[in-house]
Amino acid sequence: MSDLATLLVQQSINGVYLGCLYVMVALGLTLIYGVMNQINFAHADFVTVGAFTAFFVATRFATKVLGLGDAAAYLVSIFIALGAGAVLGLLVNAVVFAPLRERGDELRPLIATIGISVLLENGQLALFGPIPFQFDSPFAKETIRLGRVFFTGQSVLVVVASMLAIGALYAFMKFTFTGKALRAVSQDRETAGLMGINPDFLIGLTIVIASAMAGMAGALIGPVLVLTPFAGATVIVKAFAIVIIGGFGNMEGTILAGILVGIIEAFTVQYLGSGLIDLVVFVLLLVMLVVRPTGLIAERREENV
Amino acid sequence: MNIRPSPRRVAVALALAAFALIGSASHAQEKVIRVGVLMPISGPASYFGVQGKQGIELALEQVNAGAGPAGYKLQVQYEDSACSPLQATNTVKRVLEQFKPHIVIGEECSDASLAIAPILEQAKVPLLNAGSSAVKLTESGYKYVFRIFPTADQQGTMLGRNAFEKLGARTAVLLYEKTNAGVDNADTFEKVFTAAGGKVLARIDFGRDVNDFTPIATRIAALGKVDVLPTFGLEGQTVRLAQALAQARVVRGGGGTAIQLGSIWLPWGFEQKAGPASEGYIRVVQFDPTEKRKMVTDFNAAFRAKFGAAETPTHINAHAYDSILLVAEAVRRGATDSESLRDRFSKMQGVEVTTGRISFDAKGQTSDLSVIHFVETQKDLSWKGMAW
Repeated sequence: MSDLATLLVQQSINGVYLGCLYVMVALGLTLIYGVMNQINFAHADFVTVGAFTAFFVATRFATKVLGLGDAAAYLVSIFIALGAGAVLGLLVNAVVFAPLRERGDELRPLIATIGISVLLENGQLALFGPIPFQFDSPFAKETIRLGRVFFTGQSVLVVVASMLAIGALYAFMKFTFTGKALRAVSQDRETAGLMGINPDFLIGLTIVIASAMAGMAGALIGPVLVLTPFAGATVIVKAFAIVIIGGFGNMEGTILAGILVGIIEAFTVQYLGSGLIDLVVFVLLLVMLVVRPTGLIAERREENV
Repeated sequence: MNIRPSPRRVAVALALAAFALIGSASHAQEKVIRVGVLMPISGPASYFGVQGKQGIELALEQVNAGAGPAGYKLQVQYEDSACSPLQATNTVKRVLEQFKPHIVIGEECSDASLAIAPILEQAKVPLLNAGSSAVKLTESGYKYVFRIFPTADQQGTMLGRNAFEKLGARTAVLLYEKTNAGVDNADTFEKVFTAAGGKVLARIDFGRDVNDFTPIATRIAALGKVDVLPTFGLEGQTVRLAQALAQARVVRGGGGTAIQLGSIWLPWGFEQKAGPASEGYIRVVQFDPTEKRKMVTDFNAAFRAKFGAAETPTHINAHAYDSILLVAEAVRRGATDSESLRDRFSKMQGVEVTTGRISFDAKGQTSDLSVIHFVETQKDLSWKGMAW
């Protein structure tokens, strides 16, 4: 393989890996918007909670209490982070979102997400302190080389875990009754209610699924982040951009946009300079808003009557 | 209308008056130097604030013991300036208004320090800085700014010259965060290195929100033979960067040939976080906890007694500790207010602290570069002093 071809393949691999990380963060956002028409500003903090959960499980509980090896401990930590995200989502829905939904106000839940974000950030700051934690995945130490192209075990894990999570979510939404009901609620909550579907239950379920995905994303992205209580904030702006580029509430669009942004970032670093990453991504976002405001893949939505 | 004060009202008024009198009397008796401390306590640079506070607490215990310097007590108020120009500006205004400090210590990040310097200059309150390297801080004509941290010029000049002369480096790629300090360090290195005959193959900057450095490492790997990689970033990102460069087999820690060079930004313990990727990393340090000077061994012992036997102080602990020692020294030399503190600082020459000897030049910059050492990370992640 020529030098140029090697470089193109290597940066494409880097981009897909980065894109998968973004997709894992962005999917929860788009899911909540798709079903509830609501932006969750606390999503970054759910990711951080997942990262801290995975860190403490992988480095303390699973290794020292359960006696697992590093690799097994990290894998266990991903599932526990997913569970922690789900429990957090359940709690937040029960305590904050459900009571606010009952009042029928659209603005308050939005503001509540900002409150939850501040609460989670400062809670974690009080618990863990501000000094960054060094979260190293054992898979990141394994470098796989195919000729001159390389990637780490962590990249493989992230891509595989993303694909599995996306596949499971996709299958759930397309082929299960609950998934179909959830899509029905996202299209028309009132009519779905008339068909015997319980919209409140499904909205709660959406928050739990999205939070679980955020927790899992935190576990996967944790070994890349500088892990502080504010770590999630470094990826959330990019995740919002991806959700907009992909089409608000559109899963397929989010996946496509996430991978596209990852690849664009890798090639921006190569040919323009890493300092221009944000400029390029947000110019793309503006172009999309002007040229194709519905996103990469537009989803047909009927207006509620 | 005739209002007769009730006995209850009179009693309350008398009590308040008594409290006010007692308060003012105790103020008059208590000789205090108020020190405002602005540090990042939140955000990615918060490790500066946490470690800085440790150094200050230890120094305060020592200098305030007994009667205190010249009978004065140093009174400190900490504020979170978050390494952010905006937050630092708001914070320093509030501190000036409410705490009325005689002197301010801080900030660590150059952008924040540059933001508060003109405000303190206008208020005629000295700023003692121990962590910012942006050249402009002491090159803008401020009369109330003093810095005990080597500037980007001082560090970059030595790094650039030694890379060319001692390491025989002829090619370099500059890696730096997009801040005043990052740019200044990179510019200085480039100026000195290219003037000596070296060639800079690429300048790669990055924002503080960059998490994955693999694309950057890939780009460097594709540039061909690179001798040195001067790197200027905060610890968390530099750890990830070193690991990505090792995975791409660019640096010695990953089986490559390039040597990463670093500034004083990285604290003690960086090697343990970066792991084998940091092997061969050469960097400037201003505080070496293995130094045998009595001042350093005493500081190490006191630090361990207070914070735990397993703890080793970092340069951030040491800088903060030194800042308080210098304020105490100025008070011992007769300083009683902001103006006299400024005056005593401007005359300080060869004052020994843990990070070396401090001699302020006419611009308020420490000029004694005996404080700078070079160390190389070994395979077992220990330091080897470079005889440069």
